Amino acid sequence: MSGPMTAQTARRFNLAGGAITLVTVICAVIWAFPIYWGIISSLKPEDEVVRPVIELWPETLTFDHYWFALTETQIGSWYLNSIVTALGVTFITVTTSMFAGYAISQLRFPGRTALWWLILASFMVPTQVLIINHFVLMANMGLLNSWAGIILPQLIHPVIIIVYKQFFDQVPRDFREAAVMDNASEWRILFKVYVPMNWGVTTALSIVTFIWAWNAFLWPFLAVTKTEMMTITVGITQVWDAFGVYYARQLSAAVLAGFPVALAYLLFQRRVTQAITLSAGIKG
Amino acid sequence: MAEITLDTVSKSFGAVKVIDDISLTVAAGEFVVFLGPSGSGKSTLLRMIAGLETIDSGRLEIGGRESQNLAPGQRNVAMVFQNYALYPHMSVRENMAFGLRNIRMAPDEITRRVEEAARILEMDALLDRRPAQLSGGQRQRVAIGRAIVKEPAAFLFDEPLSNLDAALRVRTRVELAELHQRMQSTMIYVTHDQTEAMTMADRIVVLNDCRIEQIGTPMEVYTAPATRFVAGFIGSPAMNFLPVQIEGSAAVLADGARVPLTVAPEGAAELGIRPEAVQVVGPDEAVVTGEARVVEHLGDRTLIYAVLPGGAEIIAQDGGRSTVAPGDAVPLRFDTSQLHLFDAAGRALPAA
Ligand SMILES: Nc1ncnc2c1ncn2[C@@H]1O[C@H](COP(=O)(O)OP(=O)(O)OP(=O)(O)O)[C@@H](O)[C@H]1O
Ligand SMILES: [Mg+2]
Repeated sequence: MSGPMTAQTARRFNLAGGAITLVTVICAVIWAFPIYWGIISSLKPEDEVVRPVIELWPETLTFDHYWFALTETQIGSWYLNSIVTALGVTFITVTTSMFAGYAISQLRFPGRTALWWLILASFMVPTQVLIINHFVLMANMGLLNSWAGIILPQLIHPVIIIVYKQFFDQVPRDFREAAVMDNASEWRILFKVYVPMNWGVTTALSIVTFIWAWNAFLWPFLAVTKTEMMTITVGITQVWDAFGVYYARQLSAAVLAGFPVALAYLLFQRRVTQAITLSAGIKG
Repeated sequence: MAEITLDTVSKSFGAVKVIDDISLTVAAGEFVVFLGPSGSGKSTLLRMIAGLETIDSGRLEIGGRESQNLAPGQRNVAMVFQNYALYPHMSVRENMAFGLRNIRMAPDEITRRVEEAARILEMDALLDRRPAQLSGGQRQRVAIGRAIVKEPAAFLFDEPLSNLDAALRVRTRVELAELHQRMQSTMIYVTHDQTEAMTMADRIVVLNDCRIEQIGTPMEVYTAPATRFVAGFIGSPAMNFLPVQIEGSAAVLADGARVPLTVAPEGAAELGIRPEAVQVVGPDEAVVTGEARVVEHLGDRTLIYAVLPGGAEIIAQDGGRSTVAPGDAVPLRFDTSQLHLFDAAGRALPAA
């Protein structure tokens, strides 16, 4: 149909567009509400939080809970532990997966197919199944309550290898051949051609891995018993005292825990989308 | 600048033989074109020289050095790819320097070579652009520049013009020929476009079905095709082929018309004659008279698609102002100095 749009079809498009916008907005509100609720609750005095009415804005605004979380807990160490372990996990996971993905995608060596199947198979095993093994292993190695102990078992992310392999597979063969004719070693082909041509993937995978590692709870919770070695996700469960649970205090600690990730996301959001489109444009 | 010698090289992909015992010498400084239909093994042969495909058996020498087992980078040849394969994240300068940096060449020497190549190709202004910011023709130049900076023993091109539009293709063809004149380096060029082959080559290697059909200068393959395949593949419109019986000193067409020949063995054969050697003449000079079916006026000449009494189809060429119309009887004469005879196996027989 190539004729001019009639007023009627235009109206129908508008209606459909409006409906879609409305649904999206409702979904966004449903998604965002718990976060909003958490943040405003952390700004209310404790007695106001437990009142059985829904108040969308605090009657009395207070930053006491934040002050408490920042001064009366070891949140500084927890931040540090989280940053070190999350960055460690991200860096090691992304680089090793990059190598593995490149090897499986581009190199021909005996056992390559078997290795690939093994990686695919490990993708099917949930980490929870392995967690006892991890615990025993780390305990035997004497790595409980250490950064290494938190990092090592979190390095298993076959999905990142799979994503890298797929992106490397899609690089046209000409580029590899041109680089081979250009006397480039495998290292240089990887670092000077394949990785830069897929920066978008590396950025996106790094951010995703970082967020996973930052948010990890189960393993760090098991691996650490000393308060000063806890990551922030584990640490915030410690914000209680002999008088029981303080919801507002808990929530303020949770907001502090989530803050860096949210910030990272906000900062990199455009880069991530941009980077993904960029690397999609290269393949063609 | 180096000589390249292939000595009985073969290549199979699995059970399929793609290159069958090919021997060939490309002289130093020569521009050789591999010409053949799609799937004839041109790219494979070129890639075997480059080292991108292994050589199953036989010997390859580049500049006197046995090379069939060397890594591609060590063969001292540069390749220009059909899709250029410019690294999209590097500037033009970096694209050209990449291969030199890989062999740890001194930075001043790299700069000198890149600038020299940019000057030769007249693209100094483009050095800091990314490939995405270049037109197709400019990318092509960068791809050639990337080869030039290596100062290789030989250049290998795999259909480098096929992504350009018709006008640019003609221009780049001329530029490539000039480049060859200027650099005097050995070049091997793969194409399935006979115009490219005819215009640029010092010698053409006609490939068909894993084998070399003929090696010769453009005029040799045009005027003295060694096989029926070469005769039919080169020239546009294609050569006419007529089944004939050779009796005494004449080739007898299906309708009994006799075309005089000097020497030829007796028996069945195929007579090949290019359209430009089939002339429209007055009725008394005619060897045979056909009926015009389609008349194409090309301005400078006119092509007449005619049917001979025996049923054979033939294309004749007349002057630009030809008055032949479809349905007319056209008296035809064959230029006997341009006849070709082929035996049942497709090999050329001595004729004329
Ligand atoms: N990697 C491969 N594996 C299997 N067969 C291949 C491979 N590469 C090429 N071939 C086959 O080898 C034959 C020659 O291929 P080649 O690419 O050399 O042809 P070409 O003359 O360059 O054709 P074109 O003009 O279409 O590029 C073809 O039949 C092709 O199918
Ligand atoms: Mg080809």
